[in-house]
Amino acid sequence: MNILEIRGVNKSFDGKLVLDGLSFSVAPGEIYGLLGPNGSGKTTTINILCSLLAADSGTTRVMGTDSGDERKRLIGFAPQEISIYRDLTCAENLDFFSRLYGLSSQQRRERVSELIEAFHLGEYANTCVGNLSGGWQRRINIAVAQVHAPRLLILDEPTAGLDIEARHELWQLIQRLHQSGIGILLTTHHLEEAELLCSRIGIVRNGHIAREGTLAELRDSIPAQQLAMVEAGDEEAVSARAREHGWEVRRYGGKPTLWLPRIFSLAELVEVFAGISVTSMALKPVGLEHIYLEVTGAGYTV
Amino acid sequence: MPYRIFFESIAVSRRILIELARMRRSLVFWVIFPTLMLLLFGTMYAGGKHPGTSFDHTAPGILVGAALFFSCLGGTVSTIAAERERRTLRRLLLSPLSPASYFLGIVVAYLVIALAQTVIVYGIALGFGGHFQGNWLLGLAIIGLCVFSYVGLGFFFGARFARRTEDVNGPVASFGVPLLVLGGTFFPVALLPENLLMLAQADPVFHMNQALKGVWAEGKTLVEVLPNLMFLAGFAVLALWLGIRSYRAMLSQEKSA
Repeated sequence: MNILEIRGVNKSFDGKLVLDGLSFSVAPGEIYGLLGPNGSGKTTTINILCSLLAADSGTTRVMGTDSGDERKRLIGFAPQEISIYRDLTCAENLDFFSRLYGLSSQQRRERVSELIEAFHLGEYANTCVGNLSGGWQRRINIAVAQVHAPRLLILDEPTAGLDIEARHELWQLIQRLHQSGIGILLTTHHLEEAELLCSRIGIVRNGHIAREGTLAELRDSIPAQQLAMVEAGDEEAVSARAREHGWEVRRYGGKPTLWLPRIFSLAELVEVFAGISVTSMALKPVGLEHIYLEVTGAGYTV
Repeated sequence: MPYRIFFESIAVSRRILIELARMRRSLVFWVIFPTLMLLLFGTMYAGGKHPGTSFDHTAPGILVGAALFFSCLGGTVSTIAAERERRTLRRLLLSPLSPASYFLGIVVAYLVIALAQTVIVYGIALGFGGHFQGNWLLGLAIIGLCVFSYVGLGFFFGARFARRTEDVNGPVASFGVPLLVLGGTFFPVALLPENLLMLAQADPVFHMNQALKGVWAEGKTLVEVLPNLMFLAGFAVLALWLGIRSYRAMLSQEKSA
């Protein structure tokens, strides 16, 4: 049984359709990346899953149940904002939230110790959260979502605003959580994060999943095996030559990028652009970023 | 269900008390303010004579108006504003915590604070020659009603008017301080003209003062303070209803935020 099943969910606000037949599922032990631009419906989806909002139509089931109360015990949600008590220590925050989930005194002691160990919080267990750095606050923010051992963990942009070092540490932590067998639904704007962590990815556009699959499946879904960045004084000549070969041309960050239908060597590429004054040339694998831009319509055709 | 509400309420009140214990500055001010007011008004009304009797009559008003008002009403507004601002309210919404447990948890936390303030205010009053008389259980029941009323009002003001912690002083000062003055916290109601005295009858602080002063300073019985108690009980119910209604409206807003 899938941990999460969302089928044909619709939701409108003031007549504006935000979710339009959204459907996806999360299997046990899977990290599902829900990607999409701001306003694409990711937050609305999370709010519906957490029973904060009701869908207009469609079904959302967590471990087969659609009851809001039961779902609260099956889902752990770590919001993007650090929403824990800054004047309580890490251990006190964990203890407080375990009390809300009805854990007995012994269960609380055990669970708090387990989480402090799992999240490597030992050194800071008795430090007030407000005195910790952003990275450690993020850890405890996620740990709190785990006090009741949920089957589905929702991580909403877990590394937003973190420095590179803290982000890498948090990625390792998420991978360890994943190994414990729970399902994880992750939203992020860091596509490298999704590439690294997610077993499957769904890209939301206009309130529905516009494309979904493993990274390999997503790569296969666009007609490019490789990308070539070619800089030249006459960009139009480069584009024209590419089109002569039947290649698509996109602009990423204002720079023309060629979609190559197979793996090329640099020497082959130099040959293709013979006669044009090329200043630099580079080959790059197709990344999630390029697929994402294509699906969301943000990759411009020259 | 009552078992669950009990444990959830204790969890909430315990958390608030730990947080308050860490915010020592607030606690110190909650002690300094009523202490100074008690000493000032106690000495002022004594006018050099009968300081003990003066402290007897000043302590209840200072406890209800200067201590409980700022801790229980101001504190509740601050607690709710802080939950919203820190987004912890949203996290509580995702947990199985029931709104009733949350409300009761806050009441219990501020009851503990109220008891501590009672001990301090009366300790000082006794130290300056005041006397303690009357039924202490009845007095505590009046203090309990005061806490319920203040927390209910705190929920109302906190949920309706305080989105950020900076917003707390506005509603508390604008609505609360006139009630304190009219209720006879700082000046005897005997000084009020007839029309203001009539108005004071509708002020819950007036009834809190009269009831507590009657019991602990004048040794009045339950029957003698019954009209004040009836008003207070009615007001506590109204404040709770207003508080719960406003809290529910705030939760709906938070859910769709």
